Amino acid sequence: MNRVLVRLAPALIVVSVMPGRTGSGAAPEELFVERAAAAGLAFTHVNGAAGGYYLPEVMGAGVALFDFDNDGDLDLFLVQGGALDGSGPATSRLFRNDLTAADPRRPLRFTDVTARSGLGLRAYGMGAAVGDYDNDGYLDLFVTSFGPDTLYHNNGDGTFTDVTRQAGVSDASWSTSAAFVDYDRDGRLDLFVANYVDFTIAANQVCSDAVGARDYCGPRAYHPVPDRLYHNEGNGHFANATERAGVNKADGAGLGVAIGDYDGDGWIDLYVANDATPNQLWINKHDGTFADLGLLSGSAVNAQGNPEGSMGIASGDVDLDGDEDLFVTNIAGETSVLYINDGHASFDDARARWGVALPTAAFTGFGTDFFDYDNDGWPDLLVANGAVNVVEAQRGQPSPFRMRNQLFHNTGQRRFEEASAAGGAAFARAEIGRGAAFGDIDNDGDVDVVVTNNNGPVRLLVNQAGSRNHWLAVRVTQAPGNRFGVGALVGVERAGRPTLWRRVRTDGSYLSASDVRVHFGLGSSPLTDGVVVKWPDGPSERWTGIAGDKLVTLERGTGGKP
Amino acid sequence: MCLCAIVLSVAQTSPPPLPQLALDTYPAAAREAISRAHRDAAAQSTDADTVGALGRVLHAWEQWDGAHQAYARAQALAPRAFEWPYLDAIVLQRLARHAEAASRLREALAASPGYLPARVKLAESLLEADDLDAAQRAFEALAHEPAAEPAAAFGLGRIAAIRGRHDEAIAHLQRAVALFPEWGAAYYALARSYRALGRADEAVRALQRHQQYGPRWPGVEDPALAAVSALREDARASVQRGVKLAERGDLEGAIAAHEAALAREPSLAEAHANLVALYGRARNFEKAEAHYRAVVALGANLGTAHYDYGVLLGLQEKWDLAAEAYRRAIAVNPLNAEAYNNLGQILERQRQLEAAAETYRRAIDNQPTFRLARFNLGRMLLALGRPDTAIAELEKIVEPRDAEAPRYLFALATAHVRAGHREVGIKWASDARQLALEHGQDDLAAAIARDLASLK
Repeated sequence: MNRVLVRLAPALIVVSVMPGRTGSGAAPEELFVERAAAAGLAFTHVNGAAGGYYLPEVMGAGVALFDFDNDGDLDLFLVQGGALDGSGPATSRLFRNDLTAADPRRPLRFTDVTARSGLGLRAYGMGAAVGDYDNDGYLDLFVTSFGPDTLYHNNGDGTFTDVTRQAGVSDASWSTSAAFVDYDRDGRLDLFVANYVDFTIAANQVCSDAVGARDYCGPRAYHPVPDRLYHNEGNGHFANATERAGVNKADGAGLGVAIGDYDGDGWIDLYVANDATPNQLWINKHDGTFADLGLLSGSAVNAQGNPEGSMGIASGDVDLDGDEDLFVTNIAGETSVLYINDGHASFDDARARWGVALPTAAFTGFGTDFFDYDNDGWPDLLVANGAVNVVEAQRGQPSPFRMRNQLFHNTGQRRFEEASAAGGAAFARAEIGRGAAFGDIDNDGDVDVVVTNNNGPVRLLVNQAGSRNHWLAVRVTQAPGNRFGVGALVGVERAGRPTLWRRVRTDGSYLSASDVRVHFGLGSSPLTDGVVVKWPDGPSERWTGIAGDKLVTLERGTGGKP
Repeated sequence: MCLCAIVLSVAQTSPPPLPQLALDTYPAAAREAISRAHRDAAAQSTDADTVGALGRVLHAWEQWDGAHQAYARAQALAPRAFEWPYLDAIVLQRLARHAEAASRLREALAASPGYLPARVKLAESLLEADDLDAAQRAFEALAHEPAAEPAAAFGLGRIAAIRGRHDEAIAHLQRAVALFPEWGAAYYALARSYRALGRADEAVRALQRHQQYGPRWPGVEDPALAAVSALREDARASVQRGVKLAERGDLEGAIAAHEAALAREPSLAEAHANLVALYGRARNFEKAEAHYRAVVALGANLGTAHYDYGVLLGLQEKWDLAAEAYRRAIAVNPLNAEAYNNLGQILERQRQLEAAAETYRRAIDNQPTFRLARFNLGRMLLALGRPDTAIAELEKIVEPRDAEAPRYLFALATAHVRAGHREVGIKWASDARQLALEHGQDDLAAAIARDLASLK
């Protein structure tokens, strides 16, 4: 990859040009091709199930996509389960992406660097969150577990150090998804951790399915455990701010978490997907506290007033009206739900109108996010599916929880159409999908996806579709605090068309962390009128003269007035 | 060309096949019931009633895909019958395939236009399928049927809200809750429409009602569906019936249903565990204890069993034994907030106030929204002479202003008075009294009034 420094009045832009693939000939037959094994991702999740029907066995695990060595490509951390008591050989793994920025023609290849990195966590892992909590320019890693969580500091030399104790983020509760977020605008990333239920092995309940066969219990067999909000004190230590911030004022069996500014006041809010308990929309009150607006906002329960399965979350501007909408994956028989935001945190349950209800009715969804797989400018959707109870047609078979994943195309007409068939063989294979992380793994200008399977192999879905259109990837940086600009809102202005808005974040989906860079599909034209960044602490900047088909790094203070 | 047309014609009229079932994989009770029906259907595969009966059995055992397939075949064999498309529609609703369900319901109603539950379900399916105009017409027609009027009012309210006509929605929804006052879903819809109109206080009050009533729903009597439910006579179905009876307050019926379950399946831990609580409520402690021993022997559902046993012993005022049971429940599940709270109450009774306060605090740590435990902690702190700390805790439970709140407000008033904030205390006590009156708690209101008089 060529790195060029381009000066454009009035702003300085550091532009990393990557090879565009626009106009490169005939369209590929499959939108995505699965290449995990070919790329060296030798990883199979182990859930440790041995007949005890312990609930954690069917819930994990996740994945983090992040550039831990700052070499310009996305590396991969895969969370492992293993034996429920934390014993046994299974460990989580870190895979380094050897694509390298210097030679994009090299085939996608990963190397297992777990041993050297120190990330061989020996715990019953659940999920992962990514953020640079100490502002040293390297992304750190937080791993949630059934059991104590772990915070790893990225030392910047390819190794990580377990700093959980010093940081004060150890919590024995069963944690699931987590999010780094600077909720009080002090320039330091705080940490929200979703906790699930009070399951213990000793308190395991015996449950059966409809025909009386032993089966995994649902969350209602246990009590929800309060989530945690840790405030970053800036000295490597986090303070438990859960009560002070008020995020313990509502119960919920937390599985997914996403950040966004749902009421449009410029401050980051939190959305938590709770299993069989009302979802929470924690509205930031600008004083270090939050108030749950979930029920009043219409994003907590279904139209019958009942909570749904709520596992994974996609958050983004799906209708290009400038605010952030929500898609939440649910259990089979409920249908996943699309909540359309009116810009003031009032949501319309649009699952039927947008066409996502019927196609998701037979699926239990977990990992998900909005991403523009064909670079046409409209956020599309992927859902990683896998049951938690025996699928009727698979009764008596091994692993009777298998479901295929789904791909949805945003038509731009306020409608999603299922595109799984066009997605390719990767969407025909039935597995027990859980986590999903999104990012341009091969740096070719379109968004790829990593899907994790419960008790199964990881899948790397390499996007073949994006080359049909133009694109722009944006990395924002600022100093000295919140170096990666997590929480910033990036807008790409286009003549005569709606501005495309993307939030800089790594959270969302289920148990997973996605690329901190934001990706825009530009459609048939690589031209932009400008790029606006609304920084997490309020100010905005605008850059002009940015054309597509490359990654640009926008440094705070180098842009002009919006 | 002609051959193709013939093949197509045959394909269009062939009834769907019987469902393929892996019968060996079902547990005994289900296998027996389903196998029998499946065998009959296979033997008489062109007889709609026999095939439909298989659908009913699969439906009763919640084998939705199989039931749908059998009902579809039965309907193809007897296109003018009512019950096969009707029951198929119910299964399709359960599978969230609402447009198909609406189609089946129309077919069912063609055969039996007056069947009210089918008309209600049709309107609901149309609404869920986002066919608002058709749903509105269906609900408007139902508004004249007394048994279906609540459903009609709720449906029309939802449609008006979706269309942004919130004043109209509120009128319909108010009618719905007037007809069925414990309709949590209608209160939820009301709260959303109030919020849309900026009527925040009313929205909050409606939400409180929604949370109070939860999933309660006005039913329309449905003999066709009841006939399906009645097919289940296995142990687990008995437990489910028992749980529903207990929720309705029919203690004797609930116990009988659970005992019937155990007669069929003596090692059903869930039934034993439920009977600990049910016999406890019936104050038949001997029986309750026997079922507790059975659960412990089975080694399942122990956390619940120890906790329920603690409650049982508490009812008998065997405080030391109850405390021990709660400690066992906590050992099994260290996050059991209720067990901590109840243990705290025993420690309080034993005048171990510091230990009680600490135990209540553990309950709150595990479940911060546990208002009763926080109230108990506040009381303990007052008893320990720490009114300022008590105020900090009690201030956290003054909202929502529900039926629980008057005593919390009164405790806060007491804490302020003890802390020397007499005027603040009088204000809180006045609020507590007013709220108690609003909730019909006249005795509490009178007690507060007496204290207020002495304070003044």
